[in-house]
Amino acid sequence: MLTSLEQSAFSTWLLSSNSIWAYPTVLTLHTFGMMVLVGAALMIDLRLLGFGRGIPLQSMDRLFRVMWVAFALNAVTGTMLFVADASKRAPSLIFWTKLAFVAVGLVMAVMIRRRNFESGAEPVVISGAAKRLAIVSLLAWSAAITAGRLLAYVA
Amino acid sequence: MPELANQADLAHVHLLLNHFPTIGTILGLGLLLLAFIRKNDHLKKVSLEVMFLIALATVPVYVSGQAAAEALKGQSGVSMDAITAHNDAALGSFIMMEITGFFAWLALWRIRRIGRPTTGLTYTVLVLSVLTVAAVARAANMGGDIRHPEIEGGQYSGLFGQAAASGGFISAAAIKDFVLQHPWVWPTCETLHFIGMSLMFGVLMIVNLRLVGWLRGMSFASVHRLLPFGLMGFGINFITGMFFFIAASEQYTQNVAFHYKVVLLMLAGVNYLVLTVYDEAWALPASADAPLPGKLLGASALVLAVGVMYFGRMLPFIGNAF
Repeated sequence: MLTSLEQSAFSTWLLSSNSIWAYPTVLTLHTFGMMVLVGAALMIDLRLLGFGRGIPLQSMDRLFRVMWVAFALNAVTGTMLFVADASKRAPSLIFWTKLAFVAVGLVMAVMIRRRNFESGAEPVVISGAAKRLAIVSLLAWSAAITAGRLLAYVA
Repeated sequence: MPELANQADLAHVHLLLNHFPTIGTILGLGLLLLAFIRKNDHLKKVSLEVMFLIALATVPVYVSGQAAAEALKGQSGVSMDAITAHNDAALGSFIMMEITGFFAWLALWRIRRIGRPTTGLTYTVLVLSVLTVAAVARAANMGGDIRHPEIEGGQYSGLFGQAAASGGFISAAAIKDFVLQHPWVWPTCETLHFIGMSLMFGVLMIVNLRLVGWLRGMSFASVHRLLPFGLMGFGINFITGMFFFIAASEQYTQNVAFHYKVVLLMLAGVNYLVLTVYDEAWALPASADAPLPGKLLGASALVLAVGVMYFGRMLPFIGNAF
């Protein structure tokens, strides 16, 4: 199945087309989505860890919307990049490690929003539990980027 | 993508710009000394801004210098030793220049909070500027030794002794060997480059989406406090980016995507400086809307940042980088 994905007209176009709109643009959109998603997550994490205390937590709620849009973009572009290279990516441990860290990062975002944002009330102090979630989020996104970058070199 | 400059153009760019760091740092240092003598805080601020801008302008000077060196390679009457010595001295002074620019920015950022330039940071910039002037003048002098018939030949071997016997602290060749001989260095730098980019863009998003007015309910002053994280991200990317550039400069100097990236980076740097000292917006209360110039500033910062990312990512596709 992986091979048939790889040999589909779409994959051939994505990889062998000389058009700037094929592989280069999909890859760039994936990088853009990553920068927006991880950038927004890092800002919320840093705020929870005590940086930029003057910023009301609630005012950062809109950043979650930014994160979901960026994630949607990367789910689409990521699938396109996977399909084009399916037989190489599917058995790659680094690839699945990357996806696992992305999943952890997303779960952290959901949990952080549920605990600290959904009540709509500004917390007086950030709880230790919220800070731990922020640290896990920081580490998960850094690890996801590391694994993603290594895909270009190792796998 | 239209070409911006070929190798010979870049050599001209180098010859055009290469006096900016020397004259600029002397000017900045002079202004700063004058500000101390006159006890004029406003003049201190201006001289810090000059220092930051000169640190920014030094980037294309260094980068175009590589293209100039490549253009000169193999030509008669040109000493490769003199080029190497100039390159190493230039790299050392470039690092000094950027450290000075960083502290100048930090001093400017602190003014927003304290209300005036702090003594510690301003003196730090003063001392660094003196060292930078010396380092830049030495590099410029060695550059003049490469090919200026009027000072070549005879007994003259450079103001600072034989250029070839460089003996400086920094060797571009050693950095190149370090990056290319260890297979882990390049991927590690790439990883850090992407993390630094995310950090920088996260800060740019909050600050500029607040300016534009899409993010509300946070005071301008509170997002201003995040700016050092943006510069931290930039610092990571500047250092890792220089590792790439020094290790494989040919694939960048002759790469049109890289030329666009550097141009956009310069504009983004100027934008960041204006953002840092844009008091009209930072003094506004949380409920207020930024004036139109502030909104335009914020929007252009985001466009420039995405542009820098775009041309970075496109280095292997529009250009020839691996």
